[in-house]
Amino acid sequence: MAPILEVKNLTHTYDASTPFRFDAVNDVSFSVEEGEIVGIIGHTGSGKSTLVQHLNGLLKPTSGNILFNGKDIWENPKAIKNIRANIGLVFQYPEYQLFEETVYKDIAFGPQNMGLLGEDLKTRVTETCQLLDIDFDYLEKSPFDLSGGEKRRVAIAGVMAMRPEVIIFDEPIAGLDPMGRKNVIKMIENYRNSFNATVLIISHNMEDMAQIADRLIVMNKGKLAKFDTTENVFSDAKFLSDIGLGVPAVTKIIDLLKSKGFNIEENILTIDDAVEALVKLKNGGNTYA
Amino acid sequence: MNNIIDVKNVTFEYTGGERIKTVIRDFDISFARGSFTVILGHNGSGKSTLAKLLNGLYKPAVGDVFVDGINTKDEKNEIEIKRRVGMVFQNPDNQLLASIVEDDVAFGPENLGIEPEKIRERVDNALKTVDMYDYRKKSPHHLSGGQKQRIAIAGIIAMEPECIVLDEPTAMLDPKGRKEIIDTIERLNREKGITIILITHFMEEAQNADRVIVMDNGKIVADDIPANIFKNAEMLKSVGLDVPQTTDLLIRLNNSGLAVDTNAISIEEAAEKIATALHSEGI
Amino acid sequence: MLNDITFGQYFETSSIIHKLDARIKMILLILQIVFIFLANNLISLSVAFGFVLLIILLSKVPLRMYLKNLKAILPIILFTAIINLFYGNEGRELFSFWKITVTSGGVINSIFLTARIVLLIIISSVLTYTTTPNDLTDAIERLLSPLRFLGLKNAVHTLAMMMTIALRFIPTLVEETQKIMNAQKARGVDFENGKLKERINALIPILIPLLISSVRRAYELAEAMECRCYNGAEGRKRMKQFKIRYYDILSALISVVFCLGIIFVNFVTG
Repeated sequence: MAPILEVKNLTHTYDASTPFRFDAVNDVSFSVEEGEIVGIIGHTGSGKSTLVQHLNGLLKPTSGNILFNGKDIWENPKAIKNIRANIGLVFQYPEYQLFEETVYKDIAFGPQNMGLLGEDLKTRVTETCQLLDIDFDYLEKSPFDLSGGEKRRVAIAGVMAMRPEVIIFDEPIAGLDPMGRKNVIKMIENYRNSFNATVLIISHNMEDMAQIADRLIVMNKGKLAKFDTTENVFSDAKFLSDIGLGVPAVTKIIDLLKSKGFNIEENILTIDDAVEALVKLKNGGNTYA
Repeated sequence: MNNIIDVKNVTFEYTGGERIKTVIRDFDISFARGSFTVILGHNGSGKSTLAKLLNGLYKPAVGDVFVDGINTKDEKNEIEIKRRVGMVFQNPDNQLLASIVEDDVAFGPENLGIEPEKIRERVDNALKTVDMYDYRKKSPHHLSGGQKQRIAIAGIIAMEPECIVLDEPTAMLDPKGRKEIIDTIERLNREKGITIILITHFMEEAQNADRVIVMDNGKIVADDIPANIFKNAEMLKSVGLDVPQTTDLLIRLNNSGLAVDTNAISIEEAAEKIATALHSEGI
Repeated sequence: MLNDITFGQYFETSSIIHKLDARIKMILLILQIVFIFLANNLISLSVAFGFVLLIILLSKVPLRMYLKNLKAILPIILFTAIINLFYGNEGRELFSFWKITVTSGGVINSIFLTARIVLLIIISSVLTYTTTPNDLTDAIERLLSPLRFLGLKNAVHTLAMMMTIALRFIPTLVEETQKIMNAQKARGVDFENGKLKERINALIPILIPLLISSVRRAYELAEAMECRCYNGAEGRKRMKQFKIRYYDILSALISVVFCLGIIFVNFVTG
């Protein structure tokens, strides 16, 4: 089966005709399979945000192509609105885009723009809230009366209500407290599991990435520096630290233990992995006991 | 006097429509001069309100707050209180008001009516302290979040405060920016002896504090040294906070039958403790 | 689209005009405008032209930058020139058409007025090209400061503070507008197509978030300013005390000589 999303030699040049010209995204190619969760990591200014804004046609590539289900998204520029309905993009701090009088209206805004009306629209909004654990009592409230974390959830629900096949998040947990972070991650996993949706997430939080991402794209200076399974990417701590990124704390601890001569062979990404490996080591003297 | 700030029996309420919400209840706390305190709590725990009570931005409905022995309700001393207890906020963009870095840093001292040459001196020193002197002629708009936040800190240092309260200064920053800010704060405390009160929900930022206070529902839930707070996973979880991965790992190893000393905060310490535990198991 | 908006026109070069005190530049600008309008014959107008040309050269800002500004208001210049052709009935009749008569006096009138507008635009551009918006704001505050004797001290200070804050937040808000637009586009808003009414409706999802965020910013900024001991103009001293240096005085003198020159030429030839 063809990948759901394919990026081919994507380059985006800012200020091409001026001395400030620079390639924010430089010859990036990768493809994503249906139902995957792909994390995108890289320090600020590495081109992550510019990259994802191409995927739903908010930016036009200077050169290169983006294929969605095998078709170039710019094949028919007039139909780009349909692409945006199928490839949702949740920006950083999405709560700042809320504008309607009620939570209901704000969640309904996207689906409405896609042409959903009457009962269909109502069903869509209530289904979305049910799925994402948003209290029905909220629907008639003003979004501006909610707490920061709740606003974030409503804003994300507004994009999910469009039922995109691919949904992209630009730092969805930035600025939230631990509870808020957990809630948002749960929402993302819920949505993926319910619709077998494909998810791309930009994040600085390596612990969360280790938890949910199947594969990781590492961006550095506008280039795709690595695209591999999360396990493999985090197993190369030196490469990551060279480009100013880290690995999850627990991975670092296990790496330190390995360098002290302990015989741990697995790549450790989560606390569960670590506990398992260390207990095995204790019980059997080696990890294969 | 040994304390820079004394909060005595303070209650603070918001009135929103018909509802009255108590944000701070019967609060009693003192901050020692030169100390580095971290206040942890989830959003809505009342920690931001507490911050604003500390320099008189909010006045308590019940009880009193004293800065250097001056009651924050004393309107004559309003300016002096704010000079002594500086405040840095979450969004760096919304606290810079000039289009040139050095003009912004000068804003505080200018308000204090200091002589121009002295202002210049303070601005230059403040910018050097936060390591942003080379950017003094730049526009804040062209700086990264961490750099902007350092400028905001410089703007406070230039007023030569005794104490700086920082209300989630790293919440909107990337890991690099966060590290820049935490390093700067720790240096200000260590080298300049400025009392630091850091409000955050990132546990790791509490590692090097003298004291950690955990807040929930407008009250103090815990008040101890970092190591003791970090160990108390149940308490942290019950107030909606994360246990740092390092401590979490140690606690879970203990529960799974590997006797590890859980008194570790940093990654290096944790690895050390696990190694010791494994060695004593004969591995 | 919004990236094209550059705020202010400051053009960095290392010219002597750039180094002049902004207050002096402003006063000289006003003086020069007055005297450009006093120049009432060909010779004094030529002197004015020569002087402005000299300033352009000294500013080291490329000539095309000035022409760009002229081009922007070309329709206004043409319109004034044409209207003035038919205005006035002095001098010899050149030609007549229907009820309109063009006289030599009208032509001369038209040339003078056009020349004056062109000079006016150029001389104002010199100010904006060579002075940063910040310096302009400061200069306005300082020039208006005598008003404090009329009990308007706080009004002057407030005006200047508003201008400073506006300058600081323009790029931030431009960026924010762009972000919100993109976010709403991602939710299916179409800004490019549709009827006028639809397009106007499409602005609501941008304007409301922008408004709300501006209110929030204003509130937070006000708190931050209060924390930095802001108390209006009360007891406030500025770090940058603009000192008048020798070339400020020199340039002022040269300008005065120029103005006297025009009056003299006017007097001798008029």
